[in-house]
Amino acid sequence: MAAKSMTLLWGSGSCPCWRAMIALEEKNLQGYNHKLLSFDKMEHKSQQVLDINPRGQLPTFKHGDTVVNESYAICLYLESHFKSQGNQLIPDGPEEQALMYQRMFEGLTFYEKLGSVIYYDWYVPEGERHDSALKRNKDGLVVELGLWEGYLSKGSGSFLAGKSFSLADVVVFPTVAFLFRFGLSAGRYPKLEEYYALLKDRPSIKASWPPHWLEGPEEELLLKDI
Amino acid sequence: MAKDMTLLWGSGSPPCWRVQIALEEKNLQGYNQKLLSFEKGEHKSKEVLEINPRGQLPAFKHGKIILNESYAACLYLENQFKSQGTQLIPEGAAEVGLMYQLIFEAQPLAQKIGEVLYYNWKVPEGERHDSAVQRNKEALKEEMKIWEGHLQGCGDFLVGKSFSLADVIIFPVFAYFIRNGGSEERYPNVAAYYKKLRDRPSIKKTWPPTWIDGPGMGTLKDI
Repeated sequence: MAAKSMTLLWGSGSCPCWRAMIALEEKNLQGYNHKLLSFDKMEHKSQQVLDINPRGQLPTFKHGDTVVNESYAICLYLESHFKSQGNQLIPDGPEEQALMYQRMFEGLTFYEKLGSVIYYDWYVPEGERHDSALKRNKDGLVVELGLWEGYLSKGSGSFLAGKSFSLADVVVFPTVAFLFRFGLSAGRYPKLEEYYALLKDRPSIKASWPPHWLEGPEEELLLKDI
Repeated sequence: MAKDMTLLWGSGSPPCWRVQIALEEKNLQGYNQKLLSFEKGEHKSKEVLEINPRGQLPAFKHGKIILNESYAACLYLENQFKSQGTQLIPEGAAEVGLMYQLIFEAQPLAQKIGEVLYYNWKVPEGERHDSAVQRNKEALKEEMKIWEGHLQGCGDFLVGKSFSLADVIIFPVFAYFIRNGGSEERYPNVAAYYKKLRDRPSIKKTWPPTWIDGPGMGTLKDI
């Protein structure tokens, strides 16, 4: 069975890893081999990862002899290779397909703006940090959130590309889940809240929920003021 | 077909260039297009904002369909016009996997080039640090070494024996690197790939008009 020839190395609480795991579930590829590694212990820079991904990043994925790193690449590869099984993740109709691709790639900007706030201390060495920079990053995230509230308000369906769940939701939902995990305040972004509530119990998402999130809430609610 | 398409673009922008190359490769010449000036701030004009609220280029329309992300436009064009022009997504699992991986690896490549070239533009004076400038340069050097590795033993193209979306998306970034002073001696595989593809018809035809006058500013010569 195809899943048995697949291996995913992943870390808990990583949007990119989560995207790949949602895609595997949606394509009925449960039963893939996987190994949970620890970012804190720097296991993403261990030899077993570097052997498959010289960048020392997770997720890293193998299907037989084929290595595919980069979460979006894994998702697109899986949909293209397993088109006829599980849920169809790329719509056929030109309008819906175009909207799906558009939102998928805007999703990269969305994740970047989120990271510029929640990972600020991880990315920027102590001597180079400035309150003004973090504030600017927060303002940038607020503008971005406004765009996505708008997309969800005006959309023709409940999902990012319209009436069906698609790759856009696979890659963007984790970012939305992270917003709420890190304390985005209830009531400020109602459409995003609705979207989160709609999808958090979807089987593929529930099955791949970050394990350490189940243990307790996040300590630092970095987004509560935005 | 092409007559229902409109591209708003700026010269010397790898994202804009990708879409132009894709349109040529899919035999969609004859699309409507308008060259705008980044320097004059035209990417923030009402004309652009009406199609792309982010005020960024490329902004692309096909009938009522709007695509403002270069990768989205390229994937859409290949999927919708699969049977015409050059096939841009290979057959075979390994090649498809590699192609998708490389196009997403191009993101950190483009980003690291930007971190060096645009440091003073992005970072207000009071927040600049020599340590950050140094770190960004080192990161770009490491990134370019990764790409030298990817191109080691490659034929004429990034993936297998045929031109693919990987070349559409990544060639413009390498050209941009070299244009801005990137060293051909230090990165011989990148330089060789660049020289092999720069005369490909779709690439030659869409070469940034502002680059024809002469070399760029050379800010990347120490990388």
